Formats: sequence, C-alpha cells, structure tokens
Amino acid sequence: MIVTAMSMLEYIPPFAILILLVFGISLTTVAYLILMERKVAAYVQDRLGPNRVGPWGLFQSFADGIKMFVKEDYRPKGTDKVLFSIAPAVMMAVVLTAYAVIPWGGTMLSGSRTINLPAGQDVQAAVDQAMPMFRTQVGQPVVQGSQVTFHYGWPVQIAPLNIGVLFLIAVLSLAVYGVVIGGWASNNKYSFLGGLRATAQMISYEIPLALSLLTVVILTGTLDLAQIVDRQAHYWLGFIPAWNVFAHPLAFVMFLICLHAEANRAPFDLAEAEQELVGGYHTEYTSMRLGLLLLAEYASMIATSAVCVALFFGGWHFPGLNGPDPANPSVTDSLLVVILRSGVYFLKILGLIFVFMWVRWSLPRFRFDQLMMLAWRAMIPLSLAMLLATGLVVFFMGPRDPAFVSMRRLGGSMALVLLAVNVVLIAGAMLISRLLPAPPPTNRRIRVEGSRFTRTPLPASA
Amino acid sequence: MKDSDVIVLSEPNLSLADQFYLPQVLNGLGTTMRHFFQTLVGRHRVISYPEQRREDIPVEEGGFEVRTYRGVHRLNKDEEGRVKCVACFMCSTACPARCIHIEAGEAPWPDREKYPVKFDIDELRCIYCGMCEEACPVDAIELTHEYDLVGLTRQEMIFDKAKLLKIFDETVEKEPM
Repeated sequence: MIVTAMSMLEYIPPFAILILLVFGISLTTVAYLILMERKVAAYVQDRLGPNRVGPWGLFQSFADGIKMFVKEDYRPKGTDKVLFSIAPAVMMAVVLTAYAVIPWGGTMLSGSRTINLPAGQDVQAAVDQAMPMFRTQVGQPVVQGSQVTFHYGWPVQIAPLNIGVLFLIAVLSLAVYGVVIGGWASNNKYSFLGGLRATAQMISYEIPLALSLLTVVILTGTLDLAQIVDRQAHYWLGFIPAWNVFAHPLAFVMFLICLHAEANRAPFDLAEAEQELVGGYHTEYTSMRLGLLLLAEYASMIATSAVCVALFFGGWHFPGLNGPDPANPSVTDSLLVVILRSGVYFLKILGLIFVFMWVRWSLPRFRFDQLMMLAWRAMIPLSLAMLLATGLVVFFMGPRDPAFVSMRRLGGSMALVLLAVNVVLIAGAMLISRLLPAPPPTNRRIRVEGSRFTRTPLPASA
Repeated sequence: MKDSDVIVLSEPNLSLADQFYLPQVLNGLGTTMRHFFQTLVGRHRVISYPEQRREDIPVEEGGFEVRTYRGVHRLNKDEEGRVKCVACFMCSTACPARCIHIEAGEAPWPDREKYPVKFDIDELRCIYCGMCEEACPVDAIELTHEYDLVGLTRQEMIFDKAKLLKIFDETVEKEPM
C-alpha cells in the first residue's frame, strides 16, 4: 500500500506541490508581515506594539483578518463597477505571478536511469524519450558502449524560465496597474491623484531598476534566476560568500532604492500618502477588497525582496548547503538540504523586509519634485555610468579570470576590481554633484505687485 | 501686504554628505536602529495599563502620586450609615461645570432639617476641579482617587445617590474620610 502511494507520488508534478507550498506559506507570511510592521514601528518609536491578542500579539493577524471579512463591503456611487472590483485582484494576481520564477532551493536530484541505446538513435533523443514524467535532465548523459546513463531531477522553482529576469521586469511593472485602476475607478480625487502619482513614479523608477538589474545580468551573463544564484554559490579566498552584493554594493543600493519605489513603500509611498491623500488609491475601498490591496502590498514586498536576494545575496546559498559537485553547486539529492535552502532563502527575504520596514519608520516621504529629481538627476545617470563601468570590467577583466572564463563566476580579483570601480563611481558622483548647476529655487519669490494678492484700488465711482 | 513685508529665507547650504543624501540616510537609520534595540532589551517607558498602574511605580520612574489625584466623587456616610449630606446646595452652587443636581427633602432624622432626596452628578460634565469638596460644610462630598471610570452610555455616567453612596462603601477602607 505504502509502496503504491510512493510510486503515485512520482506522478504528482513537483511544481504543483511547490505552488501550494509557496502560496500557503507566503500568504500566511503576508498576514504576519503586517504584525511585524506594527511591531517594528512600535519598537522604533519606543513602544511595545500589539501584544493583547495572544502571546506577543501573535493572533492579531487573525483578528485583523476576521475584522476585514465582517466589515461591510461598500462601493460608493459613481465608481466603475468592474474596474473597482478587479483592481485588488489584479494587484494580487500580478504579485503572485512573480513568485513563479523564484529559485527557492536549487535542483533536487531524484534518481538516475540506464537505458540501452538503440543503434543509430541520437543520445539526447533517447534520453528525452526515457525521461520520467515531470522530471528534467541533470548534467550530461554518460555513454558506455550501447548503454546511456543519465540523472534526472526537478528544479525547486515553480516555472524554470530561462528569461526569468525579463519576466520579472515585465510582471513587477504591471503591479502598478492595480494602483492605477483602483485609483481611477474609485471616482474620488484623492484616489485619482494617488494613481496618477504611482504612474509617474513607476515610469521614473523602472529605468534605474532595469539598469541595475542589467548590471547583474552583465556580471552573470544569464537571464535565468536559478543560474544567477548558482554563479554566486561559491567562495572567495575560501570563506567569503561570492554574493554579488559584496562585489557590487552600489548596484545593490540602487536596486534597493528602486524596489522601495516599486513596492510603493516609504519614503516613496506617494500613492497612498495618508497625510496628503487620505488613503491614496485605496481611500474608497472597504472590507476584504481593502484587505486584498493591503495584502498585495506586502506580497509585493516578499516578491521584490525575493528577487533582490536572488540577484545580490546568493539566493539559497549558505555555507554548508552546496551540493557535492563544485561545478554544479545547486544539485543535491537530499530533500532536507532543499528544505534548509528554502529556509535560508526565506530568512534572507525576511531580513530584507526588515530593512524595508526599518527604512519606512526612519525616513520622511519625498516631495513629488524631489522624487522625480532623485530619479532623473541622480539615479538614472549614476546607474548608466555603473552599467558602462561594469561592462568595461567584464570586457577587460573577464578573459583574465579563470573562474569567469570556465564557469562565468566572479573570481576574487575581479570582485576586488568591481569594488574599486564602485568606490570610483561613488566618488565621481559626489564630485559631479558638486559641479552640477543648482536646481531652480523651490521657494521662488513672486512679486506681490500684480499678483492675486495685490489689493486693487477701488474704482473712483464707488 | 507690500513687497517689503516679505521676508525671503534662503535654504541652508548643504554639506557634501547632505548633497549625496545616502550618508545622512544611514545616519537616520542608525538612530532608529538604536531605539529599536533599546526597546528590544526593555529600555522603554511603556506601562501595560490594566496590569501595571502608574500609582504603583515611583514618581521618578514615570509613576504618579495618586493621593493628589481627583477622581470620581463619593457621598460620605456618618457613623449610623446615613448620608452625611444636608442638601445645602453649596456644592452645586460652587460647581463651575453645573454638573451636580440635588433635590432636597425634609430629613427623617431629628438632628438635621434637610437631606437630599436625589443627588445626581453628571460625571461627563464634571471637570474634577474639587470645588464641591471644598465648598461642602459637612464633608459629605469627596473626590476619591479612582480614575478608571468607564461607561457604555451617557445615561450610565450620570451617577445617582445610591451609586455615589456605593462608591463610598467601596473606597472607605482605602481612603478614610
């Protein structure tokens, strides 16, 4: 009986289990992130935060969820019925789509098979034919006479896309549609202004975001997130993890800033700006629709942090979790290692989310012109320079770095050069910012004479 | 308003760190992180109110001296358990918030002429100034140190004679007349 059950398991596609796991875990986490946000906020402000519902306030999330569900679902007059309803769904769906390409734990090796190679048949074709259901080939098949041995397994990734980064750029910029649609459909000026601001912000910050993403793509030479992680899964000098953040901190900082804008988080939360726009794009939302919008905001934090971890913090990579083959560190045959890797990935994400929250409770919101100025006058030129510099380093240093030539990994010397380039870029940016012409004065003096504040003399007849 | 009335302020010159923004951001992040960890190790000034009460904490550590607090009123009783009030209306006259309403009647006891048939205090109108206490010639009305006073309706917060006497019974041991 058990044997049959085990063999049945072979026919369950791993990605289906992964989808269930990722959805379940991330949606629970999202509910708890709201609690975490409130706790972090409280601690930063010398308070204790929610601690009444359950131990340390742990059941606060359930209380909030129940509250959201039992509130009246109200739709104000004059709203666009369809758009108003689908905006939260769009936002959530888009964010959840981004989870598809996150490489949670490398590749799980599930077995090997030896087949007889029929005369005249191509090796690859024979292997493909003999491949078990829902499994992919791992490594190269070994041919011994008329026999072929190959290994198979499954990637711990819902959709192993080879254009993962491209997919992410597309999906993450779609997330703003929820904000824009919600803001427009609400038939409310505050909501509308929120949506408007979100659009302009998204257009501006998409550029440095993509440019700093491209910097990593240049370094790793692939658009596949799983491979980007693989290439960081080794060590410099035997103990420093070869994560991109250590080689290229500037790209990470730029990316992080853009992520804040992308996830609509403070100091870039102009779309909801409580103090100016009531609730911004979700002013008119109530009940679980509002709940979905809020949850989507946190879900997008998880998604963007996951991307950031994959690009800059080596994804699942952690000392001791590499597979046995140093040339292919992501392949492991132990389910425990895969689970540990996912745990490490998750902890890294939580760490980054903590940074998001920490920043939110430290920095005041940008004014809109400052927001635009930061993007167009600072981040875009700097990220362009960074892209150029990285390209030059890869072009000139790459062929001299054996690890880079053979496995497209960053060697220690190349990482050092990149760090030096980072320092030069920052110093150069500081120098140039001194030489730039000053921005127009923000508090321009307007002459009272002739303005609307002039007291016009009364006509003589009166 | 003339042009000469306008005072033009110029923005302060930014230092290099200010201009590059990130060093100052890190500075601010450091401040919040310091507060975060201080709260984490328990160096905060939060009092978990219903369990911890400020009167139980020394004043130097954020507590307060409850003996000087003017809280909810009570109507005192004499040794025989009768209401002490003689319905002289001094308190309701002294009351700046006009929250004391007394209806006097002929006292059933030989030692006084009047006693309050009704004695209502609107605790929501009251400003807890203590003037009634000072005006009372027979020390019948007093403010206790009870400050957690709650009610679900406005009607509930109008305390009548029975309620005020009950408060006396409840607090007399802690706060003798």
